[in-house]
Amino acid sequence: MHDNDAARRLDLTRRQFVAGSAMAGFTVFLAACGRSGASVAPSTAPVASTAPSDAASVAPSASVEPTPKPSTSAELNFANWTYYMDLDPKDETKYKTLEDFKAKYGTTVKYQEAIDGNDEFVGTIKPQLEGGQDTGWDLVVLTDWMAARLIRLGWVEQMDLGNMPNVTANLQDVYKGVTWDPTDDHHVPWQSGMTGLGYDKAKTGVLTSLDAFFDAKYKGKVDYLTEMRDTIGLTMLKLGLEPSKATNADCDAAIAEIKKAKDAGIVRAFKGNGYAEDLKSGDVVLAMAWSGDMVQALVDKPTLQFTVADQGGMLWTDNCLIPKGAKNAYTAQVLIDFCYDPAIAAQIEAYVNYICPVKGAADVLLATDPDVANNPLIFPPADILARLHIFNGLDEATEKYFNDQFATVNGLG
Amino acid sequence: MGGFLRRHKRIVPYLLLAPGLLWLAVFYVLPGIQMFVTSFWSGTLETGYEFALSNISNYTAALTRFAPQFTRSILYGGAATLLTFAISYPLAYTIAFRGGRYKNLLLFLVVAPFFTSFLLRTLSWKIILGDTGILLGPLKNAGVLPEEFRLLATPVAVIFGITYNFLPFMTLPIYVSLEKVDRRLVEAAEDLFATSFGAFRRITLPLSLPGVFAGSLLTFIPAMGDYVNAELLGNPDTTMIGNVIQNQFLTQNNYPTASALSFLLMAGILIAVGIYARLLGTEELTAGGV
Amino acid sequence: MATMAVSTRTRPTKTGSERFVRFWNRYLLFIYTGLAIVYLMLPVVVMALFSFNDPAGKSNFVWQGFTLDAWQNIFEVPGLQSAVTISLGIAFLSTAVATVLGTLIALALARHDFRGRSGTNLFIFLPMATPEIVLGASLLTLFVAIGAPPFFPLSFITILIAHIMFNISFVVVTVRARLAGFPTHLEEAAMDLGANEITTFRKVTFPLILPGIMAAALLAFSLSIDDFVITNFTSGGTLTFPMFIYAKARIGIPPQVNVVGTIIFLSAVGLVAISTLASRRRTMRDEAVARKHATDGT
Repeated sequence: MHDNDAARRLDLTRRQFVAGSAMAGFTVFLAACGRSGASVAPSTAPVASTAPSDAASVAPSASVEPTPKPSTSAELNFANWTYYMDLDPKDETKYKTLEDFKAKYGTTVKYQEAIDGNDEFVGTIKPQLEGGQDTGWDLVVLTDWMAARLIRLGWVEQMDLGNMPNVTANLQDVYKGVTWDPTDDHHVPWQSGMTGLGYDKAKTGVLTSLDAFFDAKYKGKVDYLTEMRDTIGLTMLKLGLEPSKATNADCDAAIAEIKKAKDAGIVRAFKGNGYAEDLKSGDVVLAMAWSGDMVQALVDKPTLQFTVADQGGMLWTDNCLIPKGAKNAYTAQVLIDFCYDPAIAAQIEAYVNYICPVKGAADVLLATDPDVANNPLIFPPADILARLHIFNGLDEATEKYFNDQFATVNGLG
Repeated sequence: MGGFLRRHKRIVPYLLLAPGLLWLAVFYVLPGIQMFVTSFWSGTLETGYEFALSNISNYTAALTRFAPQFTRSILYGGAATLLTFAISYPLAYTIAFRGGRYKNLLLFLVVAPFFTSFLLRTLSWKIILGDTGILLGPLKNAGVLPEEFRLLATPVAVIFGITYNFLPFMTLPIYVSLEKVDRRLVEAAEDLFATSFGAFRRITLPLSLPGVFAGSLLTFIPAMGDYVNAELLGNPDTTMIGNVIQNQFLTQNNYPTASALSFLLMAGILIAVGIYARLLGTEELTAGGV
Repeated sequence: MATMAVSTRTRPTKTGSERFVRFWNRYLLFIYTGLAIVYLMLPVVVMALFSFNDPAGKSNFVWQGFTLDAWQNIFEVPGLQSAVTISLGIAFLSTAVATVLGTLIALALARHDFRGRSGTNLFIFLPMATPEIVLGASLLTLFVAIGAPPFFPLSFITILIAHIMFNISFVVVTVRARLAGFPTHLEEAAMDLGANEITTFRKVTFPLILPGIMAAALLAFSLSIDDFVITNFTSGGTLTFPMFIYAKARIGIPPQVNVVGTIIFLSAVGLVAISTLASRRRTMRDEAVARKHATDGT
C-alpha cells in the first residue's frame, strides 16, 4: 500500500524499460528452457487488442455451440498473491484495474490476497475440489507446478478461448503449448518472476553469490522460503547442480546443505511472503526473495535490493486458473481477457514489477512513460536471463519425496 | 404452563439443560468422535479413505515422526504453566486479600487486555521484542547486550508469548479459590502463634490448591496445542505439535495423521480433567472457575 | 467475627523476619501488582499507539510520525470493512444464541439438583480446557465427513456454529458465578403474593440475573470477535477480522487495523464501565429508597 504520493512517483521513475531487446531475449530464453512445441518468434510490433484471433494457433477445446453469450455476473471472487494487483494512485483503497473492469462490465471483483503459498492455499480448497463442489473462488493464481497438478486432477474449469480474444492474440508465444496444458485453455499466465537474493544493502553491502545464504556471518538473520522448489532450487545452484534436472539424489544433497545452515543457526525462519516484513523490520538482513516484492518493499526501506546471483536464480510463472465448480466462470474469463489488453497489462505492470506475459504492454509503457528507463527486474536483460533456471517438473512420487525431505528441515516434519 | 411446570417439577432442569447440551453434543462430542474415527483412516483425499483398526499404526507413526515437536510442546507448555503460576499467584493473592474496594477494578484490569485481538497483542510483542526494538535497541546501543542477541525467533519468545496469552486462565481460578478462603482461619492460625508466612503456607496455600489445579488444567494442555505463538515468535526449531497439526490438516490434508495427533491432545485433557474430577469433584469446575 | 475461645495471651511480638514479611505484604505486593498490570497492558498500549503512526509504506512497526489519518479513513484498506462486518455479525449472532443456551444451563445447575449433575459439570468444562486447535480441527473433520461442502460451504455458517459451541461453556460459568447467592426468598415472596412462575421469572428473577447475563454476553462477544484458531479451521475462504490480521501480518499491517482493534478494546471497556456505574447507581438508589422507607416507618 503506497500511502505516500512522493513514494509513488519515485516508484514510477524507477521503472525504466528497454522494450524490444529485453523482451526478445526473454522469450528466446523461455523457449530454450524447454517449453515444448511453441513458436519462438519474438514479438516486435505491439499487437492491438482488437486483433482477430489467429485461428491456426487456437484450438477451441469444447465444440462451440451457438448459444447466446452469457452476461457477466454481479460479483467475482478472485484470490491472488500479495503485490499482484495495481492500487489506484489516486485512491489507495481501490485496485485501479478492477475498478476499470467494474466500470466497463458492472462486476464487483472481490479481490483477496489470500495466497501465501501454493500448498497452503490449495489445502484450504482441496476438500471442496475433491467433492466436486464450489470452492467459493472464481479465479485463483497458482504457480506452474501447482497449476499442472490441479489440471491433471481435473480440478480446473476449461476456458472457452472464444471468449478471450485478447489472450489469444497477446499471450507471449513462449508460454503456449506447455506439456501440462497443450491446448492452453486451462490456464493463462499472470506474471513471471525470479527468485534470488533479497537483502539490505546498508547492512550487507552488495551481494552477488548464493554462498551468502550459507554464510555464518549472517547467522540468525537469514530467511529461506517455504516454497520448496525455490529453496531447494537455489541451494542446488549453490552446489553447482542443475534444478531443471533435479533428482532425488540432488534433493538429498540440497537438504543436507540446508540442514547444515539451519543447525548452524544461520536460518532464522522459512517464510512465504513474510520475508519482506522481516527485511523491513531489520529482523533479517538477507532473504530468498521474489523479484517484484523487493521493488515494492523499497518504499518502506530504500536500502533493500534484489539481485540474481552469479550462480543463478529461479524463474517461475504464476497462472490464472478457474477452479472447478466456480459460479462465475464466464466472468472470470472476461476478467482475464480484460487484463490481456496491452493498455491494462501496462497499467498492472507499472505497479506490480514482475515479468509481464502480455505482448505489447512494454510498448505501451514506453509510450506513456518515456522518461522511464530500463528496469531489469521487469524486463531482464540477456545476461540475467541466461542465469535463470526453471525447476524440474516432478511426478507424484518424486514430489512427495522432495516434500517429505523438505519438511524435515522446515520444522514441520 | 405454570401449572404444568409445577406438576412436573422434576423435568424442569432437564428442559433447561437440553438445548445447550444438545448443541455441545452435536458440535463438540460428535466431532471428537469423528476425529477419533478419522485417526483410524488410511488413504488420501484423492484415493479415498478406509477405516481399519490396524491403522492404530497412525498413532505410532505420528508419535515417532513428530516426537521432537511433541516433546517441545510438553516442555514449552509446562514452562508456560509454571511461569503463569508464578506470575498469577501473587497477583491473585494481592487482589483477593488486599484488594479491598478495588477488587473488581483490579480484576477487570487483569482481564481487560484480552478484549483486544490476541493476534494484535502477540504482534505487538513482536514489535516490542524486535532485534532493534524499544526493548533491545537501547540495551544494544548502550553496549549491555551484544549485537547478535535476539529474543525473537527463540524458544524464550515463544514461551513468553504463551505465558502472556494464558495468564487470565490461571489468574482467575486462583483468585476465585483464594477469595473463598475464610479469613478467620488465617486469623486463628496467627492467634496460635503462626507467622504470617506460616499461616499462608499451611492455611491459605492448601486451600487455594483447587484453583491452582483448575488454572493448570486450563493452561497446560491448551498451551501445548498453541501454534500461533510458535509461528509468529519462533523459528523452525521451535515448532510445536500445534504447528504440525495445523500443517497436516490445512496444507497437507493428511487427515488421519492430523487427527491422531489431535486426539492425543484430546486424550490428555480428558485424562487430566478426569483426575481432577475424581480428586476434587466436579462442582468447582463450572462454579466461576473462569 | 466469631469469638475464639483462646487464652488471653496477646499475639507474639514480631521478629525481624516477621517485619520483613509485613513490609513485603504491605508494599511489595502492591508494587508487584502494579508491574503485572503494566506488563498485561503493554501490548494494548503499543497497539493503540501505532494506530496513530504514519508509516511511509506498508509496514507499521517503526514510529514515523503522528497522524490521525488512519482514524479518519478507517475503511480505506480493501477488505477490512468486509472482515469487520463478518466478525461483528458472527459475534452478535453467536453471543445471542450462546447466551440463551448457556443461561438456561446455568439456571439448571444453580437452582436444581438432578441426576447427571456431575457429568454435566464435566461436560461443560471440557470445551474450555480443550486446546483450540483440537476444537477447530475436530469440527473440520466433522464437516468434511458429513459432506458439508455440498450442503453449505465452509463459511459464515460453519464459523457461527463453532463460535456458539465454545461460547456456551463460558456463558455457563459466568452466569453461574453470579447466580451464587441469589436471593431465592424474593422469588418465594413474589409467589406468595400470587405471581405464577412465569411472572415471577419475568419480574423478579430475570432483572436480578440480568447483570450476570450481560457480563456473560460481553465475554462471549469478546471471545468470538477475537477467535482465530478455531475460525481458521472452519472458515473456508471467509475472512473474519482476526484472519484478516493474520493475512496482513505477512506483508504489513496497516494502522487502520490497529484503529479497529483499539475501538473494540475501548468499546468493551466502556461497556463494562457503564454497566458498573449503572449498577452502582441502582444500588445507591435502592439503598436510598430503603432508608427512606425505614425512616418513614413504612
